[in-house]
Amino acid sequence: MTLHAVTLTVNGRTRTLDVPAERRLVDLLHDDLHLDSVKLGCGVGECGACTVILDGQPVDACLVLAVEVDGATVETAEGEALPGPAGPRLSDLQSALIDRGAIQCGFCTPGIVNSARALLRANPAPGRDEIVEALAGNYCRCTGYEPVIEAVETVARGRGASREAGVGKGGTGPAGGTGPAGGPEPAVPTAPGSGAPFVGTAVPRIDGPAKVMGTAAFVRDLAVPGMLHARLVTSPHAAARIRRIDTSRAAAMPGVAAVLTGADVDVRLGLYMEDKPVLARDVVRYAGEAVAAVAADTATEAEAACAAIRVEYEPTEPVLDVEAALAEGAPQVHPDLARYAWMRGVFFPEPGHNVAHHQKIRRGDVQRGFDEADRVFEFRFANPPVQHAPLETHAALVVARPDGRVEIVTSAQSPFTVRQLFCRAFGLPLQRVRVRVPYVGGGFGGKAGIHLEPLAYCLSRAAGGRPVRLVATREEEFHTLPSRQGLHSTIRTGVTADGRITALEVRYLWDAGAYADYGVNIGRAAAYAGAGPYAIPNCRIDSIVVYTNRVFGTAYRGFGHLEVLWGIERNMDLVARAIGIDPVEFRLRNLLRPGDMTITGELVTEGHGRPDECLRLVAEAIGWDGRRAEHPVAPGSGRVRGRGIAMLHKAPAMPTSTACSATILFNGDGSANVLVSGIDYGQGTYTALAQIAADELRLPLEKIHVPWESDTEFTPYDWQTVASRFAVMGGNAVIAAARECLDQLRALAGQVLHVPPEQVECRDGRAWATGHPERTLDYAELALGYTYPDGTSVGGPIIGKGRYIATGLTNLDPETGQGLPALNWTYGAHGVEVEVDTDTGQVHVLDVASAFDVGKVLNPQQCRAQVVGGVVQGVGSALLEKFVFEDGRLLNDSFTDYRIPTARDIPDRMRQFFVETPHPQGPYGARGVAEHPMISVPSAVGNAVANATGVEFFDLPMDAERVYLGLKRAARASGSVEGQAGSTAGEPAVAR
Amino acid sequence: MGGFRYERPTTLREAARLLAAAPGASVLAGGTDLLVGLRSGVARPELVVDVKRIPELGRVGWTGDGDLVVGACATLATIASDPRIAAAFPALAEGARAVGSLQVRTRATLGGNLVNASPCMDTAPPLLVLRAEVCLASAHGERRLPLEDFFRGVKATGIEPGEILTSIRIPRPARPGASGFEKIRRGLGHDLALVNAAAALDGPEAPLDGPETLRVAIGSCGPVPILLPPVGLAGLDAEGAGDRVARIALERIRPIDDVRASAEYRRDMTALLCRRLAARLLAGAGSER
Repeated sequence: MTLHAVTLTVNGRTRTLDVPAERRLVDLLHDDLHLDSVKLGCGVGECGACTVILDGQPVDACLVLAVEVDGATVETAEGEALPGPAGPRLSDLQSALIDRGAIQCGFCTPGIVNSARALLRANPAPGRDEIVEALAGNYCRCTGYEPVIEAVETVARGRGASREAGVGKGGTGPAGGTGPAGGPEPAVPTAPGSGAPFVGTAVPRIDGPAKVMGTAAFVRDLAVPGMLHARLVTSPHAAARIRRIDTSRAAAMPGVAAVLTGADVDVRLGLYMEDKPVLARDVVRYAGEAVAAVAADTATEAEAACAAIRVEYEPTEPVLDVEAALAEGAPQVHPDLARYAWMRGVFFPEPGHNVAHHQKIRRGDVQRGFDEADRVFEFRFANPPVQHAPLETHAALVVARPDGRVEIVTSAQSPFTVRQLFCRAFGLPLQRVRVRVPYVGGGFGGKAGIHLEPLAYCLSRAAGGRPVRLVATREEEFHTLPSRQGLHSTIRTGVTADGRITALEVRYLWDAGAYADYGVNIGRAAAYAGAGPYAIPNCRIDSIVVYTNRVFGTAYRGFGHLEVLWGIERNMDLVARAIGIDPVEFRLRNLLRPGDMTITGELVTEGHGRPDECLRLVAEAIGWDGRRAEHPVAPGSGRVRGRGIAMLHKAPAMPTSTACSATILFNGDGSANVLVSGIDYGQGTYTALAQIAADELRLPLEKIHVPWESDTEFTPYDWQTVASRFAVMGGNAVIAAARECLDQLRALAGQVLHVPPEQVECRDGRAWATGHPERTLDYAELALGYTYPDGTSVGGPIIGKGRYIATGLTNLDPETGQGLPALNWTYGAHGVEVEVDTDTGQVHVLDVASAFDVGKVLNPQQCRAQVVGGVVQGVGSALLEKFVFEDGRLLNDSFTDYRIPTARDIPDRMRQFFVETPHPQGPYGARGVAEHPMISVPSAVGNAVANATGVEFFDLPMDAERVYLGLKRAARASGSVEGQAGSTAGEPAVAR
Repeated sequence: MGGFRYERPTTLREAARLLAAAPGASVLAGGTDLLVGLRSGVARPELVVDVKRIPELGRVGWTGDGDLVVGACATLATIASDPRIAAAFPALAEGARAVGSLQVRTRATLGGNLVNASPCMDTAPPLLVLRAEVCLASAHGERRLPLEDFFRGVKATGIEPGEILTSIRIPRPARPGASGFEKIRRGLGHDLALVNAAAALDGPEAPLDGPETLRVAIGSCGPVPILLPPVGLAGLDAEGAGDRVARIALERIRPIDDVRASAEYRRDMTALLCRRLAARLLAGAGSER
């Protein structure tokens, strides 16, 4: 291999390196120069995560060879901050990104910094269009782009300001006092130490500085000496027997330390259903399933060895859709299903029928309900499988130590669940396994449960205990790692002439794909929420999780609710129109109200919140007028507009015993570390927890530190970071821990100040004897114990523990689904206005108004960030995203052909409304709102498209082609709209 | 990514010599297609010849006659933002701007886009309607080829082994500024074209006193971009011209169903783009034309 001397100036420093010809600039910068800000997101120049400034121009560093840039100047996000006497100062751009709430997981942030900087340098006062063009090449899955655009606008208007980068300092300055473009003006948080609360104020993210500087370390940024790189061999067949795997050539190749096949690893995994092997063994069940893996000194060597592995397959008949899977005599994806382990009493698989779980909901008498109805309607809806597409792909770094200890560093949502499932699979005691989670580049549910960790462990064990890092390629993220399940819904509704729903009968068929280790719980949760936020006296739901030979499904933001509410909320509009009642009025007549029972028999109380208020707010905001096109609008009719409304609800989907804990450890200077094991992979929960801790401990925010790395050895137990439950459960745990600290502080201060503890008041980081302003102690004097002038000491380090467990939840009855599954419901609604280009079918969302009853807004900026990000992700599901299969093989397994929203695809206007009906068990009354913003965005868009065009769409996504062809067919059939005649449902997908 | 030798000639002569000696070599310009191919293993060259440091390949210049000569290594970002190009050849500027994200356009080159010869390339339809020709050089000398004779199939061109595309020459337009480009994509972000089309108003075909014509080319609807025969505009208003062009286009395109779109959608969008372009270019034109 010839090496080439390459001289380049990086962030002002000139260096010369010897590099092989095939080395990419992204690898040179990240791996050789350890510039961790240069992220790899796709490797094909679609996502922009690796954007750097090369001789003044933004470029994708994955599309440049290192040898090409000899003599060039390169700038990365590490060079963006300015030198200052007290350490680096954040640039105006970096400060604006933090202040505008434009940071979430932070993985795409360095690339965005570079794109924006290159623009601002060439054009110091760009307009919005120019900003959007400059940012459109940077994918971001969290923020919804709008806050990012606003941040660049802030700088472009000369209103940005640099500031010190010290962590914590970024979290206490004024939050974007500059004029926003369309967004709400963030409140200015109270200055530290004033004693006024932080909860409820727009405190900027505490992780902002690390993310805008590119110093936040993700798994791929953590290399350890002697580390091996792992690569996978995946199946090209959807279903096949593995006849033989020849690894002999691969094993003998240079640098190769371990080669594994399914024959070497007989382990099955799963959170709820243990059906997933670490490597395919004897059979493959989906195209993309890993059948062999290699660990080698370099990634290139591992790749070459993978290419040298010969697998002989005997293809078998695949099961490619849910109806075929349920048919009598269908091939069984899991012939041994009956012998698997699963969570008994909660899940009910049907071996021999490809059914992983059948959730039944039975309430009232559905036949009587239909008999009482004046009209009965039936509609069918479909959602395709889609991908989470976090910008950071799954990654794990594992060491199987010779002494039997296992160290796992992973990009996961739930360190304790990884540990529990890992230990169960390998028969290890929990205390022998350590799971650490550093910064995580987006999860959205795809990183819940357990994924690459077991395979990396097996490779490390086979390689004599050398550390093994396995990072999924973007293609593997699509075709090997899990997606959101597809869904086919059939909804039958009985309704009276005056708009009361008397009966609802629903069949949900989930396309779980080859494994349902997590998907079974989606089938369960979406069933108990599967009638929408309505009072349905007679309800029958069958939610059936079906195995097929396709890439498997898992949790995805909203956990089945976006899918079922696509049908339910389109159905509400269809039924309302058919009986001649305004869709908003129809919803109001049927909404759950205090005193009603949910479909599982839960009594609705005032504390549940106000879905009616959410509906009213969004209807008013978008100027709902109930208008709709009278006749189908034909292609070629120019641009038409319409408005649509949809409701949503969701409660955390979790086991009845879900628990969480927090510890607060005081430091000697009176500051405190708040330790939790929930993960902040972008939602902003750590910032909210810091606000809560600061208020509870009466400390300024800068004295609170939430360590970013969760570690099962040091941070206390939490179940999983999923289901919008972390701020609620973690918040409660932090409150309890803080109050325990305060008790200790008061007791000790009372002893020293000679007053009873109840006469000690804590504020401004000090303990005060009530009524004696001169008798006061700084927390620093108490934090590690108090020492009298003579040296005698009392007390001891202040340590608080807090815990929270869901109480009162019950399993659902196997036959009726009756029970109490929900810790708290969050209700919400979206109102949208769309414009449809009838020439092309392209839908553009003009306006989205969203309202949620969050109980209490802990942080307005972070709440808004969740909503904007979720709405844009929902627009992706509504208009763009779908898996396209051929013979079970995923055709669009890259960002080239799996399109997600860019900065150009966002709605013109997004507004957020928060209702605050306190939840009795929530911290300060708060409910979760992380997933909810994405739910029902497609439904509202679908209703708006129907109102704009007079044509009903039943299948997602409403991409331009589907809409165009739908209008064309409807125009030809000259549009009967009742039932599904003249609609697009039931037709095969137009684009394969 | 497999290993290869890397050479970075600074003269055309040296580049030609390297390519002549290594038939399996890949020419590296912007790299935005080559690096994707190297990563996937589709491209496995033994030698990569980086031609970006050959000065004349990066030049954009105008002849005394008003012809535009674009060096093969001029980036699409440069072309998209050049006001003189936008004024004379809007279709080219719009086509260049439609490629990829800004990060891609700052690297991708006009020559690379053409040599890659993907059916959906956005710069080919504009250059076809603008009567561009390509200049090819080798150790044996230089030759010119009209662009319509350059494309031979999916990812196949008329470049002979050892040859390099050095420049693209676009003659002074009969109607400066009277051209345009349109593209159908998934969503509003950067995407490969489901269908693209360019059109240019052109002078009369022989005899020279004949009517004005409209030149139209369609991409992504066949193995190579399709240049329609010039459509005479005599007696046609914008709508009539659009209909006629659409009809001719639909007779000639060969769209397929694939992961990006159905053939039916491509056909209908082809007709739409033809009508849109005719409307744009003939706005206000009366039937006296």
